[in-house]
Amino acid sequence: MTRRISKYKRFMMMNPIVQFFKFIFLSLKVLVIVAGGHGGTRKA
Amino acid sequence: MSKIVVLGAGIAGHVAASHLRRKLAKEHEVVVVSPNSNYQWIPSNIWVGIGRMKPRDLIFPLAPLYAKKHIGYKQAKAIGFYPEGDNDEQKPYVLAEYVAGDEKGKQEKVTYDYLINATGPKLNFEGTEGLSPGKNKAHSVCTYTHAQEAWIALEDIIKQMKQGKKVKILIGTGHAKATCQGAAFEYILNVEQELRRHKVRDMAEITWISNEYQLGDFGMDGMLLSYGSNILKSSEMVEMIFEDRGIHWILGAGVNKVEDGVVHYETLDGEYKQKSYDFAMLIPSFSGHGFKAYDKNGGDITNKLFKGFMIVDADYTPKPYEEWTVQDWPETYQNPSYANIFAPGIAFAPPHGISKPRKSKNGTDITPAPPRTGMPSGITAKLVADNIIEMIKNPNHELHHKGSMGNMGAACIASAGFGMTKGSGISITTYPIVPDFKKYPDTHGRKLGKTFGSIGLAGHWLKLALHYAFIYKAKMKPFWWLIPE
Repeated sequence: MTRRISKYKRFMMMNPIVQFFKFIFLSLKVLVIVAGGHGGTRKA
Repeated sequence: MSKIVVLGAGIAGHVAASHLRRKLAKEHEVVVVSPNSNYQWIPSNIWVGIGRMKPRDLIFPLAPLYAKKHIGYKQAKAIGFYPEGDNDEQKPYVLAEYVAGDEKGKQEKVTYDYLINATGPKLNFEGTEGLSPGKNKAHSVCTYTHAQEAWIALEDIIKQMKQGKKVKILIGTGHAKATCQGAAFEYILNVEQELRRHKVRDMAEITWISNEYQLGDFGMDGMLLSYGSNILKSSEMVEMIFEDRGIHWILGAGVNKVEDGVVHYETLDGEYKQKSYDFAMLIPSFSGHGFKAYDKNGGDITNKLFKGFMIVDADYTPKPYEEWTVQDWPETYQNPSYANIFAPGIAFAPPHGISKPRKSKNGTDITPAPPRTGMPSGITAKLVADNIIEMIKNPNHELHHKGSMGNMGAACIASAGFGMTKGSGISITTYPIVPDFKKYPDTHGRKLGKTFGSIGLAGHWLKLALHYAFIYKAKMKPFWWLIPE
């Protein structure tokens, strides 16, 4: 069954104060994943 | 002194050229050969396609920047590769033809010590009968000019809706083997939001059409995501969003023909169907540019350099999906026949797809091609530049900088609507890009936590922040190199 976005979830998704902190969190999380390095796969 | 020639000035070419110039002494020459006069930040094209940005917001001219930064620039297109030179020219070279200015039409042998092929894809509109930007009411957002044309057509449709006309909007992929579903996904959500902003949403039936087997495949075989405190499939997340926005979907569709307001497609069940529309945006398939390569005596050696796209250090041995591994994917993007040629970004030939290949009952391949756009393009271009710098300093050096898509994370910040307070974005990160089923057997080949999804206004702000940050970086303003790829 398809999940639905509840009214509470939608409020949280669009609340600028909540989303400001989410923005900080997302920026750092994306930075960590992306700047976290990369490498080869063929040699351990 | 070495001369490095970079073909292409898109994300990969520009990143490579700028890092080479920053890190190499002035005695070394860096030359960019590109038919384009402008740099464009392609991820923001979708905002041009809904009229919320102008092309000038995401482009800038290359010539003044390159002149200021001491990067050579030829507005020309490559037409032939001569990696051994020829009887008259000892050095390897690329035959280029100028496309603008007084020298338009003139051909030049652009010699090199190292070559970076960052020519990206050819937008293969001719791969689908009747598909051409602006023709048959079908549009594209692949370039800023295409996106501008799409907005003009969409604006006209919105005017008609305001006058009471009900319309059908179709957005997705325009070929059975197209890639870049992410751009179409962003565009459909942005169009939907714009229709709400113009208070005409109830006048439009919006449909997603895609060669994906499931929603949220994105050419990456789908993902298992952390989503808040839940774990869900990308298909479930996208389905939730489409249900919420009232968007219909057609999956496993190999579009093969576009007529005026009608798209023809084949399904995985082998049925031939059609769908009418008043406005469509369909992403074409990507292909190589059809370059030819020649040896010193003029013999055709195209198959040593190209397999559609450029051959690099991947394992191209044909094998079934069950035997695909991350080790098949390239690490250094170096051509195995010519060690001084590299192909980062979309220009390299992938060993195979990422999504499970599927054929229709009629034998037609209907499978998304693997994406290499955006972040992987930048990362692979930078590591190629770093390897070339090491090779210049020590020609016998082993290549230390490696970046397989099977050991690389990526972020896809998909816009779901424009606006500082009403906007929305879907932030998805994935690690690794190519699933490693041996390392992460229980989570569909990816590491949970590093593979996550988030929906909300913050996603829009993040996408907008990245827009400004990456244009700042591309303009090589102070400390630009601190911004990661």
